[in-house]
Amino acid sequence: MTASSLLYPNWRALVRSVEKRSPKFLALVTSGGLLTAFIVYYALYRFLEYVGRAPMLGAVVGPMIGGLLVSKLLEMLYLALFIMIVFSSVIASFSAFYLDDEIRLLMASPVSAARIFWSRFVQMVVESSWMAAAFFLPVFLAFATAADAPTWAYLIYPLYIALYLLTPNLFGALLALSLATLFPIRQMRKVFQFLSVLVLASMVFFFRYMEPEKLLNPSYFGSVSNYILNLQNPMTKIGPSAWVTSATQTLFHGDPLLSLGKLLPLLGFLGAGFVILHLLARGHYRRSWQASLEAVENQVLGLEWLRRLLIRPFRLASPEFRVIAEKEITVFFRDPAVFSQIFMMAAILFVYGYNLTILPLKELPSLYSGEINDTMVYFNGPFIGFILAAIAMRFVYPSISMEGRAFWAVKSSPVPASRLLQVKFILYLVPMLLLGLMMCGISNSIFSVTSSYLFWISFLNVTLMSVVITGLAIGLGTIYARFDADNPLKISGSFGGFVFMISCAVYVLNILLLEAYPMFRLYFYRYYPITGHGSRILIVLSFVLLTMCSIVWTIAPLIQARDTIERYEPD
Amino acid sequence: MNQTEPAISLAGIGKHYGHFEALKPTTLDIQPGEFFGFLGPNGAGKTTMIRIITGIIMASCGTVRISGHDISKDPDAAKRRLGYIPDRPYLYEKLTPLEYFGFVAGLYTLPGDDWKRRGEELLKRFFLWEWRNELIESFSHGMKQKTAMCAAFLHDPDIIVVDEPMVGLDPKSVKLVKDVFREMVAQGKTIFLTTHTLSVAQDLCSRIGIINRGSVIALGTMEALRTQSGSDQTDLESVFLKLTEEASEDAVGERPAIQA
Repeated sequence: MTASSLLYPNWRALVRSVEKRSPKFLALVTSGGLLTAFIVYYALYRFLEYVGRAPMLGAVVGPMIGGLLVSKLLEMLYLALFIMIVFSSVIASFSAFYLDDEIRLLMASPVSAARIFWSRFVQMVVESSWMAAAFFLPVFLAFATAADAPTWAYLIYPLYIALYLLTPNLFGALLALSLATLFPIRQMRKVFQFLSVLVLASMVFFFRYMEPEKLLNPSYFGSVSNYILNLQNPMTKIGPSAWVTSATQTLFHGDPLLSLGKLLPLLGFLGAGFVILHLLARGHYRRSWQASLEAVENQVLGLEWLRRLLIRPFRLASPEFRVIAEKEITVFFRDPAVFSQIFMMAAILFVYGYNLTILPLKELPSLYSGEINDTMVYFNGPFIGFILAAIAMRFVYPSISMEGRAFWAVKSSPVPASRLLQVKFILYLVPMLLLGLMMCGISNSIFSVTSSYLFWISFLNVTLMSVVITGLAIGLGTIYARFDADNPLKISGSFGGFVFMISCAVYVLNILLLEAYPMFRLYFYRYYPITGHGSRILIVLSFVLLTMCSIVWTIAPLIQARDTIERYEPD
Repeated sequence: MNQTEPAISLAGIGKHYGHFEALKPTTLDIQPGEFFGFLGPNGAGKTTMIRIITGIIMASCGTVRISGHDISKDPDAAKRRLGYIPDRPYLYEKLTPLEYFGFVAGLYTLPGDDWKRRGEELLKRFFLWEWRNELIESFSHGMKQKTAMCAAFLHDPDIIVVDEPMVGLDPKSVKLVKDVFREMVAQGKTIFLTTHTLSVAQDLCSRIGIINRGSVIALGTMEALRTQSGSDQTDLESVFLKLTEEASEDAVGERPAIQA
């Protein structure tokens, strides 16, 4: 039996999960995904094309410095991708190599441990990288277009990306295998879940701390020569990201042979890595897997005081509301990965706040500063929406899936599905709304908003977005529930999570479009009094439509979710 | 409970998945105070039947009444009378047994703190008292099974529906569970039990139904089953094997299901 035939069950499961969806739905999601990818691609291409020319620096110096800036950005992206995937592959490796239930069956079969290991390696690579690959592909292709790469380069470039993605996975697998021979694996996974978020958040801080927007402005540096030298220095002299950046740039410039030459260190690195991994797997995989069976699950009962404090107010609620709320809070605080979750949320909020404070609003000419600040308030709404969606994807979306196989207890109880969804919706809406309003309040005060219309409309938008995003998260999280998943990361990283993020993006677009006319008439044309009935009708109609759309966006997924629970048949 | 109504009344219930008929239309009444055993080979439709009775899945046709309450129209009243013990005790692993009981008590809106006292009694009786403050994730399969049983008894239901109760239990616990079931029936409660352990069914059940390939093929007391099978053996195992083998042979000729 080969390693690839061991993957047959996973392949069948994937094919079935696609087959069971209706063709219309698949077409809709694919179109939505492609549209998003195209928007990302095109917007980034336009940005890179502008940065590449750097017109503010003049016709001669501009393209020279712009080119350096673009290559710097590419290198930063490669480096960020590498660090992200190393950690996600370590966590995925622990599951794929040690913790998944089917490994017991495979280990009992007459298949060699090395073959089992390589089949699990393929599974791990797909799990840890597919989402990053899907997101980064249009991003990297935008770099190719901005560099005016020849057509054949587009055919070769995905291969470069695939090879590059293998490198952090190789690192991750080596790290996981080495650690598993030394430490109890069940606790290591949790340590790494925490560490991965820590590193991710550190990267975000690091990136913000570097203030890359300054790279666009030489006035931040002492002299032009200093500035150019700074740009020319690679972030890392040797290493996969430096090799692939160099090979990519040469490929984009139309020199395939030289590009392949520059890729050779990466290929050699990969080859050596695979040999070492194979030797390590052959020698240690079975032994470390056995050791993983002996380790006892860590029973962390930390943060009990906070848990008790948070469940106290629910004593006044109805019994089913109280127990569902208490159970949600208890399970959340007893998950050892909770620290990383809270830390991540804090990091997102910090970076958001920090980004607002470093916006060069004070440098604007005073005549326009009020107008621009006010307009920023309007466009800040979607940013708050995306932050809320990201937080909801991590905390709210997995809520029903995390009931797990114990869900039979709720299904066989007198609590109807609609009540369960209602309780979860209210329970999660409160923190989501508070968070949204807090972000809105802070940003309004930073922008020193002068228009009372924009002030109130920003709060209305955030309220609507909090309600709709919570409804979508609970609803779609139920429709695409994965009761067999063992951690929220796996749930939010699934197909349903993707549908949720796309839906949130479409809703935010929906808000912007429906408010476009009132914004135009009540803000940009505010000095011209409204005289005719037509404008009034259009404004009222916009807000009525917005309310109706928001109700539909909230209720429709919850109704679908109720039907899904009623139809759901536990294992 | 209304004593004139059957505890469980199934009227033509069936379940199909696409073209596959997991449970053919079945009519069956279980009277209050009855200990009913439901037997059948693997994949015969026992768990499907139990899940329909407990309202976990919906039947494709027919009606289920629990003490006179239609489970699809009045699920609240019907489910309050039921206690369900599943074959695989998946529980909320991050809760302790007492916290889990609190959760179940809330789902059934049990008033006051009576549930706590009852939960503590049940934990002592099922030898789980010393683990009351441990997380369920650290429990063995048998301990989880006993925790699920205690939770099912917490709201003092009139009807207990049990799917394979003895899997994973040690001999001492098996004896305890049998004693508890006998006591409950003596108190007038109804038990609907499926099991592969035929000796348990023979020991405990006053009436037995046998299901094969989605159809109830035999129904009655031990004596009635023996007569129906034409077996000269006295044990349930021989009767069961004879009846299920015959049914498999008859399946080619599509023998109609028994209507009880």
